[in-house]
Amino acid sequence: MRPFGVPIRITHMAGAVASVWEGRVEIEAAVARLRSGDLNALSALIARYQNRLYRYLLRMVRQPSEAEDLFQQTWLRVAEKIRSFDASRNFDAWLFTLARNLAFDHLRRIRPSSLDAPLGDDDSGETIVSRMVSGEPAPLDRLLARELSSRLAAALDSLPLVYREVLSLRFEEEMKIEEIAAVLGTPLSTVKSRLRRSLEQVRQIMEAGDQGEEKA
Amino acid sequence: MNYPDEHAETRSKLALLVAGALDAKDEEIVSSHLAKCDECAAELQNWQTISAGLRRLPTPQPPAWLLERTRSLVAARLDAQAEQRRNRMVLTLLIFFSWALTLVGWPLFRLATGGLLSLFDVRFHQMWLLFVVFSVLAWIGGGSAAVLLSLRRQFERRLA
Repeated sequence: MRPFGVPIRITHMAGAVASVWEGRVEIEAAVARLRSGDLNALSALIARYQNRLYRYLLRMVRQPSEAEDLFQQTWLRVAEKIRSFDASRNFDAWLFTLARNLAFDHLRRIRPSSLDAPLGDDDSGETIVSRMVSGEPAPLDRLLARELSSRLAAALDSLPLVYREVLSLRFEEEMKIEEIAAVLGTPLSTVKSRLRRSLEQVRQIMEAGDQGEEKA
Repeated sequence: MNYPDEHAETRSKLALLVAGALDAKDEEIVSSHLAKCDECAAELQNWQTISAGLRRLPTPQPPAWLLERTRSLVAARLDAQAEQRRNRMVLTLLIFFSWALTLVGWPLFRLATGGLLSLFDVRFHQMWLLFVVFSVLAWIGGGSAAVLLSLRRQFERRLA
């Protein structure tokens, strides 16, 4: 029953805001407990961020084995630096900045000349798309959605690193533009121009694919 | 701004519109153009398909072993850090204790051996030398004990 005839949309919005607020409070509490050495807090934080962080690292380095290694390194870095973390800052942005720095160091060390080598060189044949676990079932719609998803994931995968990461942070991690700027350490205008260029490139790749299929 | 300019301007901002990266003023201008231009509205739909697709990309799941291994690695690191802090605190206390012993020990020593008047007599004679040797040995002994204790604890932690 809706109290005092409050419209459904408003109650839903209030619920979403309350949920986000609760999430923030939980994270802050877990961070505070981790600072005092509570291992349960660590498990809670890993559980909360495991999918997002792994997805982001996979977008960055494209190789599952490297993403796994960086995932561990990121949490080790969190354990090392958690005491110097400023609690007034956004933990998401701090965590993704640590992960990003580690990923860049890794790429500089492993593939310094070609940070964006295509994934096709991998002998295992395993791609990011093949590692994706799909969601709910539904016959034709699901097939079409999966087709679009595969093509989008492939298009995303073929973009340069700076474009991949900005798209991942905006559309997958759903970060605000200001948060992305904090993670990347760049001005808002740079984030916006990278977003625009990356979307334009994705569209070009998708349209080129469409034209190729039409010709075939 | 004339219509063709507005048209081109709007098109250039549609990607940012679907990314939620337009500021309020630009969003208002683009929205008012979209309300009267079917072509741009259709173009917006293309961008929305891409942005919706990007938002719905399946999420790769980290393997279960990775989470377990990460937890145990971080737990070990946190333990090591806690032990380092404890060792640092013990060493600091030992240093303070050694200094206190040295500073308080000399007057007490002189008081016991020569009385109040000779308290500040620091001439280099045999008794003073004896005291210095005693202090240095005490410092070396204390430091060695602290290092051995720390090494033993590290060894025990590795075995556990």
